Amino acid sequence: MIKYSEKKALIIEDFAEFARAVGTMLRNMGLIHVDTVTSGEAAIQACREKKYDLILSDYNLGTQKDGQQVLEELIEFDLLIPECTFIMITAEKTAAMVMAALEFQPDSYLTKPFNSQLLKSRVDKSIAKKQAMSPAQRLMKKSKWNEAYVQCEAVKQSHPKYSSACLRLQFECLKNAKLYDKALQLLADVIYERATPWALKGMGSVYVKQQDYDRALDIFEQMISEFPMALDGYDWLAKVQHQLGRPVDAQRTLEKAVEKSPKLLKRQKYLGQLAEQNNDLDTTIAAYRQAVKFGIHSAFSTPDEYVKLTKSLGRKLQGNTNEDRKKLITEAEGVFLQIESKFKEDSCTQFRGAVAHADFCSIVLDNKASDRHLKNANKIFDKIEEHLTAENSLEIAESLKTLGLSQLSECVLEDAVEQYFDDANFIKKASKLTTNKDLIKNASKANKYNNEAVRLFKQNKYNEAIRYFDKAAEIAPNNVNIRLNQAQSMLKQYQSVEKKTELLTKSESMLRAITRLSITDPRYARFSELNRLTQLMLQKLH
Amino acid sequence: MNRQNDDIFNMILASTVHDMKNSLSMLGESLNIILSSVEFKKLSPQATTHTGVVQYESARVNNSLMQLLALYKLENEQLPFNPNYMNLGDFLEEQRLRQLPLLEAKRIQCEIDVDDELEGVFDECLLSTVLENIIGNAIRYSRSKILIECIQSDTTVITVNDDGPGYPEIMIEMAGSYMQGINHSTGSTGLGLFFAQKIADIHSHKGKQGSIKLSNGGKLGGGVFEICIP
Repeated sequence: MIKYSEKKALIIEDFAEFARAVGTMLRNMGLIHVDTVTSGEAAIQACREKKYDLILSDYNLGTQKDGQQVLEELIEFDLLIPECTFIMITAEKTAAMVMAALEFQPDSYLTKPFNSQLLKSRVDKSIAKKQAMSPAQRLMKKSKWNEAYVQCEAVKQSHPKYSSACLRLQFECLKNAKLYDKALQLLADVIYERATPWALKGMGSVYVKQQDYDRALDIFEQMISEFPMALDGYDWLAKVQHQLGRPVDAQRTLEKAVEKSPKLLKRQKYLGQLAEQNNDLDTTIAAYRQAVKFGIHSAFSTPDEYVKLTKSLGRKLQGNTNEDRKKLITEAEGVFLQIESKFKEDSCTQFRGAVAHADFCSIVLDNKASDRHLKNANKIFDKIEEHLTAENSLEIAESLKTLGLSQLSECVLEDAVEQYFDDANFIKKASKLTTNKDLIKNASKANKYNNEAVRLFKQNKYNEAIRYFDKAAEIAPNNVNIRLNQAQSMLKQYQSVEKKTELLTKSESMLRAITRLSITDPRYARFSELNRLTQLMLQKLH
Repeated sequence: MNRQNDDIFNMILASTVHDMKNSLSMLGESLNIILSSVEFKKLSPQATTHTGVVQYESARVNNSLMQLLALYKLENEQLPFNPNYMNLGDFLEEQRLRQLPLLEAKRIQCEIDVDDELEGVFDECLLSTVLENIIGNAIRYSRSKILIECIQSDTTVITVNDDGPGYPEIMIEMAGSYMQGINHSTGSTGLGLFFAQKIADIHSHKGKQGSIKLSNGGKLGGGVFEICIP
């Protein structure tokens, strides 16, 4: 029996009458604590303040965020307890299935209209299943793959009804534990009984992990031919085709998926990237346009699609004097305004936006405006607080060079080379842009020292590694990776060789010198983990 | 239709259906609230009939909307098809619960006979739209009893029996071409059967295709609808 009087429920529904009706149904089931919100934004806020056991959300929430976006954000920002049951209410059954192909799935779908008996039956079953599965899911959250696997096995015995849900989790466990052969065997058994989209997708994804792209290609081709509406099959197939050096095929594959469901931000961005690579300007514009459009209410939208949209519009306008010229210019100006307001606090994006804007104005021959934006860019550059990414640095440096600001262009490149000298692809492109030949020479020197140091680190020769990291740091004092490597070597030396307090304080100051690392930077997780370890060891001394 | 018109039509269709379904939900829920506030036995036989009609007809409109939308998407290759393992007992019980207010209003007993552990692989949403229509029809024609059975050998077979007058001979003979069955004067189930046929068709496994069959007699002596999912 489920004690509903102890459960907290949230109804997300923009249609007040319907929300009231559902509220009444829940109270008749014995729930006392029932909150109602009318928008996705309010729902996110409510979940920040309270931990709900049951959430019923309408998929269609008017013009704002939809139910799927709400669910994605709640999961991404970790606002749900593992026991929380999320039920998506949809008006049309078919929409549910398109959504089912997405990464984040609700526990259940319920189609309007429904009566209180049906609601109760569905909620009972969903909560019971959640209670049976959540111990394994908690273990998976802590990356305890083996224990989670065993837990699933137990659930299979006690609740045969949940066998296929258990198999899916067990596959995830094996895959995450890198037991690829066992994972493939599990899936082969499932597929022998009957091919299902999740099993095929799982198999293909393991082959991708093993870099066996030919096999992965076969599997994903089978998947989209057997299940043409399982849209993530197209995403995977495109990825594999791209990897195999077939970007045109990859683009065609993604176009098929976008035609069936345009609403996925990630898919549109990937399509834009592929079309750009294939020099298909119209598709590039269309894809980034959609990405901006569907990202408006999403927490996952990034400045990237905005800037890329203006870039591709600029390319379209180059040498174009008639067709739709005014319309395209107005559109691009609108996007620049959005960049300014939506990402106001982010100085890197403001800098990137200002340079892109100057570039755009120069393409449409408005030199006065171009100068104005360049002046603005110059001003923002001094205020930038975080490291630009490798790719953005190249984009900005290239524009600045074209616009005649070679000095600022070199500054941007210098900073980037210092950060990303170990990225061969980046260095290749940077060396084409810079006129400063020493820059690249120094980069390769720093890279050599760094590699040597990493080699020594792997042989547990931490002190020698530190010496080489020091040499690399002399050339690139602001490089985050070297600092992190140094700190890690010092901790290792302290832990396994000599308990010298000096090593810890040095590590602390190394990490303290890293001040321009953005939370969204991929290196941030390692940075904060090393910080935590250093502080932990320092505390033990006292 | 060109691509752009198609998109617009799609959008209008989806949002209109959404709107209409909200209204239908409200209609049904309001009726349930009214019914729960009066003692059922005190309703005159006439009133009972009328509430039954409102429930039945609004469910029918809703179901037809779903079928139309799904058929439109099928024609345009946009119908999502997502077959999954599903416990058949749970699934059929939900189909019964969906119809519960109507069953109670018409005082029809609905029994389900299925093995607890049985699992089938099918698209839950699509099959539930099919059964909603078929069970709705059975309620319309049966006198007092409906029996839903499910057996499994190499295929899953769901049967809906009723104790009504049975399907007209002409419909039973129409097997495979149910579109001709649409008859304005009788409000016949052409769309429902046509839809059921289409949905059975797209369920295929290891070279076998799904199918539907109508007959008369069965365990309750009335109409028998059978859908096979491989």
